[in-house]
Amino acid sequence: MRILLEDEDGSIASPCASVVDSNMEERERDTGDVNPSSTSSDCKATAPTSSSSAPSVPEHGADSTRAASGDLGDKLDVCSDNFDPLLALYSPTVPLPFPNIKCFNNVSEYESFLRGGRGRAKPENVEKRQRKAMKGVADPERIERLKKLMVRNPVPEAEGESSSSTPRRRKQKPPKNVLTRMPLCKGGPLGELHRCVEERIRVKVHIRTFKGLRGVCSGFIVAFDKFWNMAMVDVDETYRELLLGEALYHEKALTVSRLFEKLKIQESPEGDEQAKKHKAKGKASCPQSADPSPVSKEGSSKRGDNRTESRLSGDSVRGEQEKQGASLKARGPETGGRKHSQAYGKVHTRHVNQLFIRGENVILINPQPL
Amino acid sequence: IHLVAGFSSIRERTIAENSLVILLQGLQGQVTTVDLRDESTARGHVVNVDAFMNIRLKKVLHRDRRGRLTQLEDLFVTGRNVRYVHIPDHMDIMETIQGQLAKSHRVRNFAGGRKEYAKKKS
Repeated sequence: MRILLEDEDGSIASPCASVVDSNMEERERDTGDVNPSSTSSDCKATAPTSSSSAPSVPEHGADSTRAASGDLGDKLDVCSDNFDPLLALYSPTVPLPFPNIKCFNNVSEYESFLRGGRGRAKPENVEKRQRKAMKGVADPERIERLKKLMVRNPVPEAEGESSSSTPRRRKQKPPKNVLTRMPLCKGGPLGELHRCVEERIRVKVHIRTFKGLRGVCSGFIVAFDKFWNMAMVDVDETYRELLLGEALYHEKALTVSRLFEKLKIQESPEGDEQAKKHKAKGKASCPQSADPSPVSKEGSSKRGDNRTESRLSGDSVRGEQEKQGASLKARGPETGGRKHSQAYGKVHTRHVNQLFIRGENVILINPQPL
Repeated sequence: IHLVAGFSSIRERTIAENSLVILLQGLQGQVTTVDLRDESTARGHVVNVDAFMNIRLKKVLHRDRRGRLTQLEDLFVTGRNVRYVHIPDHMDIMETIQGQLAKSHRVRNFAGGRKEYAKKKS
């Protein structure tokens, strides 16, 4: 509802306004219902009339507008749906919903007040004040940020996103793991080993038993670590099975050459004959470590062991062993003599496609010559 | 920092990551043969391997050095007593290592700090 102040002539407007005002005043006093339309009609009605009729009009207006006063109150109530700002601006007494609030002269003043009162509200001051106010409060965002910093290499969860610039700021150092450490050992023995990995050089790894050499693993190294643990492929392992008891006590230290000689002799009958011949010779020179030729050395050492063994256990046992030996392998008539040296301590060969070796068991690594 | 984890402390994890034990950890669940220091062998499923190479196996066929066979439901081998571990032919060594490293990386950086999820060990 709008009060249309129709000017028949300019002088009319003010009386009407004053009429309205006085009406309002009266309405303030008595809170009767006011019919807005009656007010407007009154206004309009009184507008053409001269000011002489004004005194009577207020009374009239008061009576008729008493009915409209309640609605008008509603229109002047800032919090109500029917709030009429134009009416409120021209009314001298608008009921303030919050009479004790601070009054500002303009919006800037209000803004300034909002930002915290003293001093000019510069952006940096404002922020500082805010931070101070928030001092004790746990900031979840800050906690998250700190957590990210605590963790090594904080790469965002989505895979492959890690190379964006913002996370890089938080990224600490390049990752250090077994694969990155492999090339790092350059200059030392492990560096040599890394070269064997890179150049795919076949190596021979000597494996130890608790006392001495067990055997040799020949293969390619795929990965290694500082403990000399190794992952190898295409491995041919040649090893001697463990001697037990007295044999262990008396055996000569196994070397690589001896190992392979044993293997050879194991597999070939001729070697056995040779060994047999040397047996006679060997009797005299048995417990030496120094021997004229590798083969005879091998033969005599073997025989030496054997003979020592049999000397201790008696001739009968020796005979038994020979028989045993004969039954063990079915290869030619010469096998008898050979066998009893191989009833124990046989050399075996096997092939393993992929093998992991614990570094503790490695004696040395021998790269195959180019 | 003590992290709620599937199997290890940070210390164990760094030890494992910087050595080839991580390759053995990638074998968890596979059937392999472990050659022991005393010349005996144990063949079975790898349950888990820790940073010190202690291996837990199940459904094991143990062959002692004399060749006598024993069937065992569970076998625990101390790391020091391991000599060889046979790696199944179908497994690629480099891929296994890289996969294991990526797994532990992923879990570590998950959501920048939420470690409710147990660290993946398998």
